[in-house]
Amino acid sequence: MFTTGSKMFVGATVLSVVAAIVFAAATGGAVGLMSTVGLVTAAVIFTFLAGINLFTRDGNTPSMEQGIEHTAAAAQPPVGRSMWPLIAALGVGGLAVGAVSKPVVFKVSLFVLFAAIVEWMVQSWSERASADIRYNANLRNRMLNGIEFPILGTIGAGGVIYAFSRVMLAANPDAGRWIFIFIGAAIIAGAFLFASGRVSSKRTVAGVCAISAVVLLGVGVASALQGQRTVHPHPTVDDASQKALCLEGGEEEVDERASQDVSLKSNVVANIYLREGGELVAVINGYPDEAHEITVPRNAHIGVIFHNDSDEPERLTGRFGSFPDKPEAVSCTTAVHPGKSAYLGFQIPKTNLASSTPLEFIVPGLDGASIPIVVP
Amino acid sequence: MTFLTRRRLAGSAVAAATVLAGCAKDAPQDTFKPKGSNARTIDDLQRPLFYVAGAVGLIVFAAIGYSILRYKDRGQDMPKQTHGKTWLEVLLTVIPALILVGVGIPTVAAVFELADQKSECVVNVTGQQWWWEYDYSGTCGGVEITEPIVTSGELVIPTNTSVLLRITSRDVIHSYWIPALNGKRDAVPGRLQTLRLEADEPGIYVGQCTEFCGLSHARMRQAAVALNPADFQAWVDNQLEAYADNAPEADTLAAKGESTFIASCSRCHQVNELVKKDGTPVLAEPDLWVVSGAAPNLTNLMTRTAIGGWTFDLLTEDCREQLWNASPEEFGSLYLQGVWMNTDADADKPVCFDEATLRDWLRDAPAMKPNYSDPAKLDSTGGRTRGMPNLHLNETQIDELIAYLLERK
Repeated sequence: MFTTGSKMFVGATVLSVVAAIVFAAATGGAVGLMSTVGLVTAAVIFTFLAGINLFTRDGNTPSMEQGIEHTAAAAQPPVGRSMWPLIAALGVGGLAVGAVSKPVVFKVSLFVLFAAIVEWMVQSWSERASADIRYNANLRNRMLNGIEFPILGTIGAGGVIYAFSRVMLAANPDAGRWIFIFIGAAIIAGAFLFASGRVSSKRTVAGVCAISAVVLLGVGVASALQGQRTVHPHPTVDDASQKALCLEGGEEEVDERASQDVSLKSNVVANIYLREGGELVAVINGYPDEAHEITVPRNAHIGVIFHNDSDEPERLTGRFGSFPDKPEAVSCTTAVHPGKSAYLGFQIPKTNLASSTPLEFIVPGLDGASIPIVVP
Repeated sequence: MTFLTRRRLAGSAVAAATVLAGCAKDAPQDTFKPKGSNARTIDDLQRPLFYVAGAVGLIVFAAIGYSILRYKDRGQDMPKQTHGKTWLEVLLTVIPALILVGVGIPTVAAVFELADQKSECVVNVTGQQWWWEYDYSGTCGGVEITEPIVTSGELVIPTNTSVLLRITSRDVIHSYWIPALNGKRDAVPGRLQTLRLEADEPGIYVGQCTEFCGLSHARMRQAAVALNPADFQAWVDNQLEAYADNAPEADTLAAKGESTFIASCSRCHQVNELVKKDGTPVLAEPDLWVVSGAAPNLTNLMTRTAIGGWTFDLLTEDCREQLWNASPEEFGSLYLQGVWMNTDADADKPVCFDEATLRDWLRDAPAMKPNYSDPAKLDSTGGRTRGMPNLHLNETQIDELIAYLLERK
C-alpha cells in the first residue's frame, strides 16, 4: 500500500511529531514554543508530502495498474546490507553516554544520529527506485553527495588543521620553527617534483598525501593527549586573589588565556624597563630621554610592554585608580623571566583627580620601582 | 545637430567638468601646497611621480585612441592575427619594473624620513565620534608645560618645531590628516601611532578625518594652528591660567551660567579647577554618559575658533576671513584674542563672536550635527550617547551659559 517515497515522508512525520512532543516537554519559554510550532509545521508538511506521494504512486508507475505495488521495482527488497542502522545505534548509545558525561559527546552523537537517519532513509528509498542497481546508486549519490562532500571536506580539513594546531601548541617555540620550515620545504619539494613531471603517478601522490594525513592525525592525537606547553599568558585580573597577586608579587600565572593581544605590541604607549638595580624607567616614542612619568589619554584602551632586565622573574603591576563606587582597578603582567617581556593593556576611565588612590606602575616587592601615570 | 554630435558634445562636457573639478580657488586641503618639512618631503616625492605617471598615462591613452580611430571597424578584412612576441613582452615587463624600482627607492627613503621619531614636542591626539582631543605635557618647543593641557578641535603648535603626535582612538577607527603638514595616519582603538608635524610659519592648516567613522564623519574636522615661539608661550600661559583669574563675578549672568553649567554640562564637559559651592571639585564623568567616554574640555573654549568637531565657527564670517588671511606676522596676536578679536577692552561682548551659532548648538546640537543621542534609541549602548544630546535648555539658561562660556578664554 505504501510506496517507497511515501514511507520516507511518513517516517519523517513520525520523527517530527515525536521530536515536537519531546521538545515541548523539555523546553519552555518562547524558544521552546517557537521550536515546537516549527516541528509541528514540519510534521504537517511531511504528512502532506506523504499524501502526494501516495496519490501519485511516487510519480513513476501508473496509479491505476493493478498489483503494481507488489511487482514494481520500487517494491522489491533492499539489494544489500546497510551500515546506517549500526551507526544510528552508535549515535543513540552516544546520546546516552553524553547525557551523563560531556555535552560535546551528546552533541556529536546527536549529529551522528541525525546523519545516519538521513542516510538510511535516502539509501532505502533509492534502493527501491528501480530494478537497476547502478541507476539506484546514482540516484542516491545525486541526492546526498551535494551534502556529504562539503561536510566530509570540512571535517577532513578541520581534522588536519586541528591536529596541526595541537602539534604546534605542544611543541616548544624553537621546535615549532623547525617543524614549519621542514613541512614548508617538504611541500615545496613535493610540488616541484610533481610539477616537473618527475613524479607523475597519481597513485603515488595520493598515497603520500594519505600517509601524511594519517601521520599528522596520529601526531595530533598524541600531542593533544600530551597537552599544550606552558604558555606565558597575558594579563587580566578579574578577581580578588589575582589582584592580591599583582600587588604582593609571586611567580604564579595570572591568566591562562592565550596571546590575544599580540598584535597590539607594535603600537604601545611606552616600553617600561626594569633595570638591574631595581630602577623602573619608561621609554616613550618621541622623548629623547628615559621618562619617569607617563601621560596617557583618558578612557582609551592602550598598552605598555614591560621588559625585565633584572636577574629575577618580576611582574609589572598597574594601579589604575579607585573611582567612586568601584574598587581599585589593578592589573599586571605575568611573572616575566629575566631578559623577557610582556604586554599590559589598560584603560583608565577618568582623570587622576577623580581617583582616591595613586595611578602608577609598580613592580611588587621592589621599593622605589614606580612610574606615576598622568591622565589629564 | 545630429545625435552623434550631441553625444560627442555631452561627452566632452563631462570630461571637461571632471578635469575642471580639480581646480579651486580656496582649497585649504590642497595636497600640492606643502607648508612644512614633512609635507614637503611627500610633495617632493609625489610631484615627479605624478609627472611620470601623467606622461605614461598620456602615452597609453594616445596609443589606445590611435588604435581605436585607426583600426575601427569599417567593414575591412580581418587583419592578420599574431600571438605572442617574446622581445616585446620582455620589454613591456622590464620597463615597468625599472620604473617601479626607480619609484621605490625614493619612496622607501621618504618613508624612513617621515618615520623619524626625533621631536621637540609630543602631543597625545585622541579621536572619537566626531571630534579630536589633544593633550600636552612635558615641554613643547622649549616651552615648559607644567600642568597637562587638554583641548580639542585645534592643535596648537609652535612653528619650525618638530611635533610628534601620538594618535589613538576611543571608539572606532578615525584618520588624522592635515594635508599641508604631513600625510594621514589612522587612529585605531588600542593602538598608538605616531605622526610628525612641522609648520614653516604661523597660520591655520585645516584637515579632515579621512576614515569613515559613522554618521557625522563629514563633520569631523580639525586644524593645526601654528604660532611663533613667543605666541605659543603666550598660548600655553593662557591655557594654564588659574580658573580663579577668569571666574565669574558674583550675581552676574555669567555666575548664573556657572551654576547652569555645573547642573547641565559638567557631567560630560570638564572646566579645570571649577568647584561646587561646597568647595569640592567638579569632575566630569563622560565615561558614564558618552560611548567614547570623553567630551571636549571647555576650560578655554573661547580661545578656539570653532566648535562641534571644528565644524561650526565661533568667529563671525568677517573675523574668520581676517584671521585666515592674516599675514604670518600678525596671525599670532589675532589668534590669541580668539573671539575677543577687534574688541575694545571695556566692551561687554566680543564683536567677533558668532553668538547665533553657539546659541543654536546649545539649543539643539543634534539638529546641527547628526548623532546618536535620542534617548529612545540608546538601549544598545546602555543609555550612553554618541555625540552631544539635546539638553532641552530654555532661552534663559542658554543666555546664562553663553555669558559663562564667553569668559572661558
